[in-house]
Amino acid sequence: MSLWQTTLDALALLVSLDRELWEIVAVSFSVSLTAISLVLLPSILFSFILAYTDFRGKWIFLSLVNTLQAIPTVVIGLLLYMLLSRAGPMGDWQMLFTQKAMIVGQMLIGFPVLVSMMHGALQSSDRRAIETSITLGASMTRIATTMIWETRFPLMAATIAAFSRIVTEVGCSTMVGGNIMGITRNIPTAIAMESHKGAFAQGVALGMVLLALALALNFFLTSMRGKGYLRT
Amino acid sequence: MTIKINAQQLSMRFKERVLFHIPALSIGPNDAIYLKGDNGVGKTTLLKILSGLMKPTTGKVNAPNDSWLHRAFSRTGRKDVIYLHQSPYLFDGTVYQNVVYGIRYQKESPKDKRAQVITALRMVGLETLADEHISVLSGGEKQRVAMARAWILKPSILLMDEPSASLDQESIQRLVVMAKDLLERGSSIVITSHQKNALTDLCRKQWWIKDTTLIESPLLQVITDATQENSYASSNAN
Repeated sequence: MSLWQTTLDALALLVSLDRELWEIVAVSFSVSLTAISLVLLPSILFSFILAYTDFRGKWIFLSLVNTLQAIPTVVIGLLLYMLLSRAGPMGDWQMLFTQKAMIVGQMLIGFPVLVSMMHGALQSSDRRAIETSITLGASMTRIATTMIWETRFPLMAATIAAFSRIVTEVGCSTMVGGNIMGITRNIPTAIAMESHKGAFAQGVALGMVLLALALALNFFLTSMRGKGYLRT
Repeated sequence: MTIKINAQQLSMRFKERVLFHIPALSIGPNDAIYLKGDNGVGKTTLLKILSGLMKPTTGKVNAPNDSWLHRAFSRTGRKDVIYLHQSPYLFDGTVYQNVVYGIRYQKESPKDKRAQVITALRMVGLETLADEHISVLSGGEKQRVAMARAWILKPSILLMDEPSASLDQESIQRLVVMAKDLLERGSSIVITSHQKNALTDLCRKQWWIKDTTLIESPLLQVITDATQENSYASSNAN
């Protein structure tokens, strides 16, 4: 089958609102959006503590977080699989091959990415911003919200980067999700499976959805940045 | 309300470099201090330590309103003490949003808060720019907004780090009006500057950081011919 014909078939699948295809898209989005929403606040808090406090062993923590970023998703999936499998310590939870397990896996993948990038953003922010907030008598919560507002563009970029990573990962989702149609089959696991079967049209259609998502997120970020201004 | 803060055995060192060692110092109530010293002697560091934004290497600063949070953690600021940066930081927003920042969650009606902000902006001559984004302001205007933002909180101690650097005469005069107002309310101010100007003329005491220590002295005022003649005339009249 030619590349051109595959693309046309993929477009036809998308336009005809193929139920199976859009179910896969829905699973992908619901799992990844839930994972990023659950991990966002702890990541901000954690990166805030890392950026603005000094404590013994901070560099070890930072090194650990940066290392966790580089762990292959399939390894995280494997660890989670061993924990959640019937013989594992969390086997009683009966979470393996469910969306919950995929969410936990994606949270574990997204957390270090978010913390590392957000820590970088907060640490490189203007020191005067936090000092001004403190000296004007702001509460801890107010200081935190002020700093989040002042660094919102790099924080948003970090969130989008983490979301992009989890929505496209295959390893962990396959290991703990099991690629069950209508339940745990998401875009990357479906692409991997369909291409193995030689059914490229659905894979290309799903790839197009991911590309459209990436484009939309980047348009959003660029348009928001356009509203910012350069400090003097 | 006005407070007094004391410090003992205050020293600051960055690795091998000793910035200063000050056996004792106190500010307030109602002090006006001109802090001078060459570049790099630690004027900014001292002001940041006094405001609670920095922790000294040794020594302690005692302020009556220090919260348990401040005692437990360093760099949490000091109640009623405001530090004004040499190059002020304005939050991303309008001039109004910046000035209202400190009183936004105070128990006052929004109308009262608005009136206070407008009064502060009128004092610095920027009331017409209240709804403008801070990105349109010049350096001098930013300094005036930062001063208005500090003044609105009526701090007991205002620490001004080179407030007049690169300001025109009008801007300096606007800052003088606010500093005078705070002094009349019983607040204390500390001003660092490399040049004497209308702001430093408000000061009655001088701190000089020299050879890693702080020398305190009353600030000598230059007596002009006119003031001399006036005093001569009044003594003759008596």
